[in-house]
Amino acid sequence: MISVSGVRKRYGGAVALDGMTFDVRAGQVTGFVGPNGAGKSTTMRVILGLDAADSGEALVEGKRYRELTDPMRHLGSLLDAGALQPSRTARNHLLWLAHSQGLGARRVDEVLEQTGLGGVARRRAGGFSLGMRQRLGIAAALLGDPPALMLDEPFNGMDPEGIIWMRGFLRSLAGQGRAVLVSSHLMGELQGTADHVIVIGRGRVIADATVAELLRSASGGRITVRTQAPEAPEILAAAGAAVVPTGDGGLSIAGLPAEAIAGVLQRHHVAFSELAAHRATLEDAYLELTRDAVDYRAEDPR
Amino acid sequence: MSMRRALHAEWTKALTSPGTSGLLVMVIAGTAGLSGIVAAACSGATCGADVALTGVQLGQAIVAILAVLVIGNEYSTGMIGVTLAAVPRRFLVLIGKALVVAAGVTVAATVAVAGSVAIGETLLPAYHATLRPAVGTVLYLVLIALLSLGLATAVRNPAAAIGTVLALLYSVPIIVTVVTDPVWHDRLVKYAPVSAGLAVQSTEADPLIGPWKGLGVLALWTLAALLAGAITLQRRDA
Amino acid sequence: MSILHAEWTKFRSVRGWVLGLAAAAGLILLFGLAPGMSGSCGKHGPASACTPTIGPGGEQVKDRFTFVHQPLAGDGSVSVRVTSLTGSIFDGPGAERPGLAPWAKAGLMIKSGLTPGSAYASVLLTGSHGVRMQWDYTHDKAGPSGFGPQWLRLSRTGEIVTTASSTDGVTWTEIGATRLAGLPATTEVGLFVTAPEYTSEMHQGLLNGSQGGPTQATGAFEQLTTGDGWTGAAWHTDWIGGRPDWTELPDPQQQGAGFRVAGSGDVGPAGAGVSVTQTLVGTFTGLIAVVVLGAVAMSTEYRRGLIRTTFAAAPRRLRVLAAKAAVIGGATFGIGVVASAIVVVFGQRILRANGVALLQSSATTQVRIVAGTGALLAVSAVLALGLGALLKRSVTAVTVAIVVIVLPYLLAVIVLPVEAARRLLTFTPAAAFALQQAVKQYPQVDDVYAPSAGYFPLAPWAGLAVLIGWTVVILGAAALLLRRRDV
Repeated sequence: MISVSGVRKRYGGAVALDGMTFDVRAGQVTGFVGPNGAGKSTTMRVILGLDAADSGEALVEGKRYRELTDPMRHLGSLLDAGALQPSRTARNHLLWLAHSQGLGARRVDEVLEQTGLGGVARRRAGGFSLGMRQRLGIAAALLGDPPALMLDEPFNGMDPEGIIWMRGFLRSLAGQGRAVLVSSHLMGELQGTADHVIVIGRGRVIADATVAELLRSASGGRITVRTQAPEAPEILAAAGAAVVPTGDGGLSIAGLPAEAIAGVLQRHHVAFSELAAHRATLEDAYLELTRDAVDYRAEDPR
Repeated sequence: MSMRRALHAEWTKALTSPGTSGLLVMVIAGTAGLSGIVAAACSGATCGADVALTGVQLGQAIVAILAVLVIGNEYSTGMIGVTLAAVPRRFLVLIGKALVVAAGVTVAATVAVAGSVAIGETLLPAYHATLRPAVGTVLYLVLIALLSLGLATAVRNPAAAIGTVLALLYSVPIIVTVVTDPVWHDRLVKYAPVSAGLAVQSTEADPLIGPWKGLGVLALWTLAALLAGAITLQRRDA
Repeated sequence: MSILHAEWTKFRSVRGWVLGLAAAAGLILLFGLAPGMSGSCGKHGPASACTPTIGPGGEQVKDRFTFVHQPLAGDGSVSVRVTSLTGSIFDGPGAERPGLAPWAKAGLMIKSGLTPGSAYASVLLTGSHGVRMQWDYTHDKAGPSGFGPQWLRLSRTGEIVTTASSTDGVTWTEIGATRLAGLPATTEVGLFVTAPEYTSEMHQGLLNGSQGGPTQATGAFEQLTTGDGWTGAAWHTDWIGGRPDWTELPDPQQQGAGFRVAGSGDVGPAGAGVSVTQTLVGTFTGLIAVVVLGAVAMSTEYRRGLIRTTFAAAPRRLRVLAAKAAVIGGATFGIGVVASAIVVVFGQRILRANGVALLQSSATTQVRIVAGTGALLAVSAVLALGLGALLKRSVTAVTVAIVVIVLPYLLAVIVLPVEAARRLLTFTPAAAFALQQAVKQYPQVDDVYAPSAGYFPLAPWAGLAVLIGWTVVILGAAALLLRRRDV
């Protein structure tokens, strides 16, 4: 649906994008994560044709965004929730957008209801909280009923209730077969929401994988076994695993899946008390991946 | 098709921005009001014959605010990003804005000029309304609005844009009155946007520049400003 | 103090603002130094050089008249009867009609020499201002207001010159006495006649101004009587300041003690013309730049909510406003003074080098103009700051500021009749442009004292006071709102 290939972009001397390449597929929520300044917003601006790439290209349904007729019917987007004229009402903000795509007021009322803004539609958008502005931005992105959506940091400023709503909403959009690209600098926000994650740092893709793959790579496939049997490391090593004792009677095992380990130990009648996959969070995976890619790292507070 | 939609969107934007109608009313009140004050000051004294439409001197500033805000607000709030995501053919955005501004200003300026003419007929004994200065003044205000729109699109900072426009509207004419070197004076009168454009109001027998030719000079300035705006909009990252 | 420092840091750390200030100075310099004007002085050999006539007070004066005179050694007196004063007005080449300028002059004069600009005292009959005593170009004292034939008497005692008039030659009324410092022992004394240009308002299209033309006056004198101390030489005619080339003045005719003398020109202050103010035309553009700065300095605070940070750091809001005003005003004043000093010094040189006959202004006037331009810019910027705080929107604040400061001036110069123009420039902020006035208004000189000719109705500092008054009102309103309004 959205395809970015080899995009480079400099602002003056600073390299913002350095060969950014990825695809966003339909029917799933794709997380787009990276530290501040990694190039998430710039990539999205390039996709929308707001900023011109120095080289490479970003395509929506195989076309450059500028070439789309009624582009919001192909890709709905939310870049900056604050980008609206404060004196205009929420409904009127959506109305002019609708008119730009040949849509009518009925569609505006539909998306207002969909995003839970029906009650405040005739209030000045300038008085909205950031969370409400995010909803308004989502409503705008939905106007054209597009097969693809692209949202920059939509969780910003939302209360816990709003975050839960947003997660469910994004899932349901993907469930309808749409491609949903959601950026965030907090991986945790995407856990349980995203199916696929693109991790970027310093203007390029560091990892592009499903959430499951990412978790597995982060934990390195390591499994912890607790046993008193001194022969256990040998037996496991003979079965092809890399075994590292962790001291207090624990073994950290790599190279064998959990079922195989259990089978081998049972066959050799080795008693074990605990067998657990090392549970990595997306956050761990992310921190590991971006360790070298953070531009602005705080001093270690000591 | 997309032109019509861009225009429709800009039209809705203008209608739903609470400032628009107020500014248009102020164009009318400012123009007719100043025309009235000047006409009252001139009714017993010696003034030129062309003072009935002096109100444009104030009306043009309000018209400039209106036009600068139409694009300037988008830059200062960042809404330009939303606009260009909706209408990625940027040229259409500028044309849409230009048409909406032109339409609004035409209506307001027509009422304003009609009011000024009526006041002139009442207060100025020597004044007789003629069509050309009246129609020309409406066109003048429309051109000033479009000039402001073009400049504001090119400059992108609303405060700097209105400063530039007001310098053109007010400083240049003052400089013209001070320059006594005949060659430069004539050049400025003929080719500076305001003095050339306001030639359309003149009833002088032998003006430095003909009324329609003068308005044409202003139209060229406007075209240049719109072109500069279009190029900036097209080339620069939003 | 720390608020002031904070505001100063805010100001100088935004590149656009520093650029704006530089732009203001640059525009003043650009228009002040651009050779947009040239004249013919000194362009056609040394003979065409325009040497200004400078009076005894150091100011530029006019000194052109017909003088029928003879030397007077030491003290003495002279009297004469002016029987008639008639004249004609020239509307164009060959277009001559009878008419007398109100300030046409015929009478007696004592002058320290024949050089134009030298010290003098005179008693004279005017076209329509009665009998006057005038001396050293800028001084004027009214005598009896009667018309018709008048007796005039002028006497010298040491450096004191006394004048008197009479309707019958028997009862004399003293008009006044003055001391002409450094009057030489031998002076030139005699009859003089001159007639100034007439002026009237002109309106042409969108340009206001005054138009005029030369006039000529003929005085008929009889019973020219000299007192003690005369050398008894014959009466001799000189056309001081050169014989006019715009009219064929007849030679004076003498019949015994009776004379008919025709003259054209003026003896008095120099009046309007191209002055040092010309070099400051860039002020209008510079003013717009600083007004933008002033308005933006306040409105940017509102645009991105910076105002909340500002008020969190300095909760006393009025002090913040005052500190901003001080920073903007101070920076603008400094830039304005530097830029205008440069153009006043070099701009005048350039104009003179281009052959423009520039009016001489005194040093104090020039200093006042330079300081005044700085003050004008500074107060305007602060006014815009107040409008920015009041309206929160830079575009409207800038426009309102320009419309109240510059538009009245423009209207006064280009459309309004003189009376309305002068009224407008007494109460609008544009009154402050009086700070740049280089010429002085005299009651004894007929001119269209119109703003378009560089004359303002208010004195320079009174004009500034009007602008300051407006600024105080607007800042006061802004302060009131700032205290009350949630940010």
